Amino acid sequence: MAKPTPSQTVGPFFARELLWSDGGNVLFPGRGERITLTGRVLDGAGAPVVDALFETWQMDGAGKLPAAGEAARPYGYGRVSTGANGGYAIVTVMPGPFTGPGGETYAPQLSVTIFARGLLKAVRTRVFLAPLDAIKDDPLARAIGNPDRLRTLVAARDPNDPTIYRWDVRLQGAGEAVFIDV
Amino acid sequence: MSRTLEADVHPPYAHPGYRSTHLRAPKQPLVRVAPSPLEAAAPAFPKQFVTEAEADLTTWGKSAPLGEKMVLVGRVLDEAGRPVRRSLVEVWQANASGRYPHPVDDHDAPLDPNFLGKGQVLTDDEGRYRVVTIKPGAYPWKNHAFAWRPAHIHLSLFGNSYAQRLITQMFFPGDPLLAIDPIFNSVPDEAGRRTLIADLDLEHGVEGVALGYRFDIVLRGPRATPMGA
Repeated sequence: MAKPTPSQTVGPFFARELLWSDGGNVLFPGRGERITLTGRVLDGAGAPVVDALFETWQMDGAGKLPAAGEAARPYGYGRVSTGANGGYAIVTVMPGPFTGPGGETYAPQLSVTIFARGLLKAVRTRVFLAPLDAIKDDPLARAIGNPDRLRTLVAARDPNDPTIYRWDVRLQGAGEAVFIDV
Repeated sequence: MSRTLEADVHPPYAHPGYRSTHLRAPKQPLVRVAPSPLEAAAPAFPKQFVTEAEADLTTWGKSAPLGEKMVLVGRVLDEAGRPVRRSLVEVWQANASGRYPHPVDDHDAPLDPNFLGKGQVLTDDEGRYRVVTIKPGAYPWKNHAFAWRPAHIHLSLFGNSYAQRLITQMFFPGDPLLAIDPIFNSVPDEAGRRTLIADLDLEHGVEGVALGYRFDIVLRGPRATPMGA
């Protein structure tokens, strides 16, 4: 077995190289319930992380893997950088729940990977687009157990606009998001 | 077992010598879970996403960029040595003076109008990639007094599963700045650090034109995890 190549930080200088003009608009071949996931990435002092590369990967509205397509970019994959206030926004379709190989049910979620200066390797996690009481059987929810920790991965539906889900990611300290080793 | 392997290979989040980790490194332990069916798959980049010209970083300007022309070749493999086929490799780097065309780069070195420093390529059926570029320059940064990053090329990889997604940096053999670089030295073991250094590979250069370097990349394989864990 060859050893994996070690990770190194993305650094601060990726903006022109890795960003796409419309990378926050996630493509799918069909229509679906359009939603926006938006929020901020914050550091251990609560300061905005202004130079993170924020990526999402998700199932389609029916809970199926995005197919390979002929679109300009891959289906189901979003990529943006955080802005001056640490903010990000991903416009996409509401992913459906899906089933794992052991029959376990995954709640509606996006897999999220965040790279940044100061992160020697990416932080990976999953954000839930369903309320806490609706995700209890999800494999990650069960692995976390503690509802206070789990809450860090639950996006809050905006009471004034139900198409908007708000999710802040604290990298460190109070309210630190749960990050996963997959 | 694979957990130990991962922990050995990658840098820790917190590395005291690299200042930017102090407020950004998570402090809670990672929660280990089996890859979801989503994470066991990877975004599919359509063939037309990449053009052949994007693998040559030296042809974007009106004339050739300044610097030492080089060819970077390598293979992308999984831990079992199998080629990672038709997978996107993105590269970006400073110009020969050690300057990025980025608004926050305030290094007082000239921009090169003939060098954008970005490229991308899909691996072939053997997992091979080939990029033509110039050797990037070293540059100062503010991490500590007299801090200079060794010359490096950034690489972004997708692999066959989203759990393999990797961003790393490739360094050059014999660079004295490697010894004082906290980012390179964040990799815990020496064997791991050595894998981040390209080999001079004259045969893949172009006689009289460009030096060849080889940088092979190994992406982790699927994690052996009990069902439903």
